[in-house]
Amino acid sequence: MDKHQETAEPDLKRIEEIVSRYRDQKWPLISLLQEVQEELGYIPPEAIRPIARGTGLFPAQVQGVISFYEQFHTTPRGKNIVKVCRGTACHVRGGRTILKIVKQNLGVEEGGTTPDMNFTLETVPCLGTCFLAPSMMVNKDYFGKLAPPKLKSILQQYGSPGE
Amino acid sequence: MEAITITLNGREVSGYPGMTILELARESGVEIPTLCHDPHLAPIGACRICLVEDERSGKLAASCVTPLEPGMVINTESPKVVERRKAIIKLILASHPDSCMVCDKGNQCELRKIASDMGVGLVGFQKIPQLATIEEVNPFIERDLSKCILCAKCIRADHDLVVQGAIDYIDRGFASKPATLNDMPLENSECTFCGTCVAICPTGALMEKKRAYSGTSPVKVSTICPFCGCGCSINLEVKDNQIVRARPGAESAVNRGTLCVKGSYGYDFVHSAERLTSPLAKVNGDFEAIPWEQALALVASELGRLRRTYGPGSLAVLGSSKCTNEENYLLQRFARSVLGTNNIDNGSRLYSAASIIGLGAAVGFPGTTNHLDALEQSEVIMVIGANLTSSAPIVGYAVKRAVRSRGAKLILVDPQRTELASFSHLWLRPRVGTDMALINGMARVIVTESLLDEEFVAGKTDNFEALSKVLEEYTPDYVEGITSVTSEEVSRAARLFAEANVASIVYGTGITQHITGTDSVMALANLAMLTGDIGLRGGIFALQKDCNGQGACDMGALPNLLPGYQCVEDAQSINKFADRWGTDLPSDAGLSAIEMIEHVREGKVKGMYIVGENPALSFPNSTVVKEALASLDFLVVQDMFLTDTAKLANVVLPAASFAEKEGTFTNFEGRVQRVRKAIEPFGDSLPDSEIVLRLANSMGYPMPYSSLQQVMDEIRELVPLYQGIGYRDSETKDIYRAELDKDPLSKRRLFKGQFPSGFGRFHPVQYESPGETPSNGYNFTLLTGSILHHSGTGSKSSRSPRLSEFSPEAYVEIGESDANQVGINQGDKVKVISPLGEVIAAARFTDTLPEGVIFMPNSFPSTPVNQLFDIVLDPQAKTPALKTCAVKLERT
Repeated sequence: MDKHQETAEPDLKRIEEIVSRYRDQKWPLISLLQEVQEELGYIPPEAIRPIARGTGLFPAQVQGVISFYEQFHTTPRGKNIVKVCRGTACHVRGGRTILKIVKQNLGVEEGGTTPDMNFTLETVPCLGTCFLAPSMMVNKDYFGKLAPPKLKSILQQYGSPGE
Repeated sequence: MEAITITLNGREVSGYPGMTILELARESGVEIPTLCHDPHLAPIGACRICLVEDERSGKLAASCVTPLEPGMVINTESPKVVERRKAIIKLILASHPDSCMVCDKGNQCELRKIASDMGVGLVGFQKIPQLATIEEVNPFIERDLSKCILCAKCIRADHDLVVQGAIDYIDRGFASKPATLNDMPLENSECTFCGTCVAICPTGALMEKKRAYSGTSPVKVSTICPFCGCGCSINLEVKDNQIVRARPGAESAVNRGTLCVKGSYGYDFVHSAERLTSPLAKVNGDFEAIPWEQALALVASELGRLRRTYGPGSLAVLGSSKCTNEENYLLQRFARSVLGTNNIDNGSRLYSAASIIGLGAAVGFPGTTNHLDALEQSEVIMVIGANLTSSAPIVGYAVKRAVRSRGAKLILVDPQRTELASFSHLWLRPRVGTDMALINGMARVIVTESLLDEEFVAGKTDNFEALSKVLEEYTPDYVEGITSVTSEEVSRAARLFAEANVASIVYGTGITQHITGTDSVMALANLAMLTGDIGLRGGIFALQKDCNGQGACDMGALPNLLPGYQCVEDAQSINKFADRWGTDLPSDAGLSAIEMIEHVREGKVKGMYIVGENPALSFPNSTVVKEALASLDFLVVQDMFLTDTAKLANVVLPAASFAEKEGTFTNFEGRVQRVRKAIEPFGDSLPDSEIVLRLANSMGYPMPYSSLQQVMDEIRELVPLYQGIGYRDSETKDIYRAELDKDPLSKRRLFKGQFPSGFGRFHPVQYESPGETPSNGYNFTLLTGSILHHSGTGSKSSRSPRLSEFSPEAYVEIGESDANQVGINQGDKVKVISPLGEVIAAARFTDTLPEGVIFMPNSFPSTPVNQLFDIVLDPQAKTPALKTCAVKLERT
């Protein structure tokens, strides 16, 4: 498990180190934010000031960009990201039940993270795999033609579900 | 550049390439409504209200972002345009509360104005739930974002005009709104409460606090801010003889729609209950209100008695750097022709005399050598000894804009980490008081590396040989030894400064309030002259602390100089004035401000007339100064408030505030600007000019002016710098002609590098220790200075309810490790002790100061920091050292 998820304080040294690599680049903000998120799993609010200093922007501007894009997260996320599809095709094939059971299994609501930081549950408007409906993703793997009994074992591949 | 001709509403009009349709329409008198456009901001085309139709294609375009193209046929009011515009207004109103009846924005709401112009009443759309009001505890700004229309004017003003960066949009879609970092209340953000966003907001989303529902004011008076020397134009909105609002003057070339917190909110001292309402006379130790005639008769008879008994030299007059030009002119004439003494000075002695003398000697002109616009266009700007954020906010904005928008490079020289440090390309941190060695070191690098402008130096200056000889000693290593700035940094700064095509220098009290102030100013002038950056390009910008510090000196409220810096000892000059005034005038130089106090102590000065100054707080060694003033045979003080100085007076005369009188202020650039009367004088107070005239009458030497216009006419005649301004235009009711604000600045400038005397003169100056270093157990270096929310000794700002609520008391800034050494915790009351006195204030930890240095603001009457200072004068400028002294700290 990543170290940052065990400590409450975000690792400012690591952030500074990433920022320093982008110092001389033009328009570096998005890639810089992506790298910080890649490294830490999320962008801690404490990172905003060092990032602003390094990019010559105002902190409020950096916050504006972070809050604009869906891809950026400002709270710690689980090691594994579960994305349940809420597209039309999945919906008519029982996607709502799939979501309900994943929630039960993980013990969290949409957007929530299990206390052991192992799973974060999200929903997406469409995963683009309607032929597999109902479907979901865990990290970069697709799981299609889901049925309630399959879910537990899928999640177990990624460690114990939160309960 | 070829003109582009288009057809606008059936009429052919021409503009220049790059011009937008909106700009051309406004120029041609065609009104196009807008919500997100402001001439000071880059257009973004967010609100879409300014749609126009190109009749050739039928296409609609936002006119604020569409540049002219040849052959365009634009209709600004076509049926299609009107239909779309109405739809947009309705959509905006659908997410806007129906609270117009109780909204304080009233008739100034641009949304409401456009809606009513277009006949949009009921919207008919389903309302979108609005964002909640954010509760703020600051006394200045209230945000009601339910009224926000997302025009981004506040954000753009924040980023592009004042360059503060306190707010930006947060989130996306319906949730998006302007917010501070972490969506905190403004007081917990970087916001400085400059009020620029409030002034620019088209709706009631951003409003002044504590002014709710005062309604729309029918009267707007354009005048000049009474605080620092920037000279910002403000519009006072008046209702029932009360100022209900101050907004920045958008037309002003100085502040261009921006202000600082003092300008926007500090005016409320005018309505302070502490204002003096009638003349006071001290009877048996207590003040009693007396009528004006009695007060003037008493002052006249006492001053007359002292003059007859002890001679004119026994009297001294202190004029004010906060009073108008006309008032200072009258006062110096009163001193010279009525009292018969040159013992006249003004409060700017305390901070800018070094500039008058230093720049006067070096470049032949006693003040800033170019205008603010030129500063903003410089490639390299050196800010030395000035915390612009607090002492000259508008100059700070200009420097930040230069750095952020124009790519200028900032060399910051300051031991303290000021806000500008984060904008600086190079930040040099010399030991306190060693700036001059650093400047000489830079000059030496420029000379030895042949980076100087040889043509300029050879053709326009003299005494270069002597300078280069003195500079030889200032090797980078030698300078490093004195200043602790590394030799490499000194060289880098010098190269940066010299290699720029246009470089400017900004300096403030960190230079002038040392005993070596005049020499330091000369060193700066040397540096600027070496590279030719003195006016044709770049310039030297000498900041002023008070609204009319420059003007008071221009008007001759000085002991050795007549109006226009004409020497009293020069027979031709003194005769000119003697002839004009029809009286004999004293021709030997009088006493400067601090010398007056010394002469009082020696019993040579028996009576003083102090106008709008507060020496009991502003002079060093307050204890001695107060004793001296109390020992006078007769002291008359003219002020708005019963200041610490006024308390010592025999007679106190109540003066009107800036908002209650007419006149002119001259800002630090030398721009002469109109001060206009907005309200009637408070109580029985009178404008200072009126008091001086009445007093002259009472003394039996009436001065022949029936109006301020006649005073300005005489100034124009006798002061070369003021020629061409201020004559009456019989067509207008104004006492001055309308174009006064367009003062021909060129007269005061070194345009084209022409020095008034033909040549600029290098003055070789040697570094001397400022002599205020820690010793004998006084192990800390105290730095004093102004802070954003207060000014001067705080007579005005401490009586502004909002400013004093936000910034109620003095504090001691100290580094954490220093504090630990003395055992001081954050918030502890600390006794700051010098050999002369002590003051108490709460400790505030900071990481902006070098080790061993503490900072205290000097604008709190209840914490008179200046009493820690001994009276030590700059031998040339007679300015007391008030910037730094050695102190020790004790926890109380």
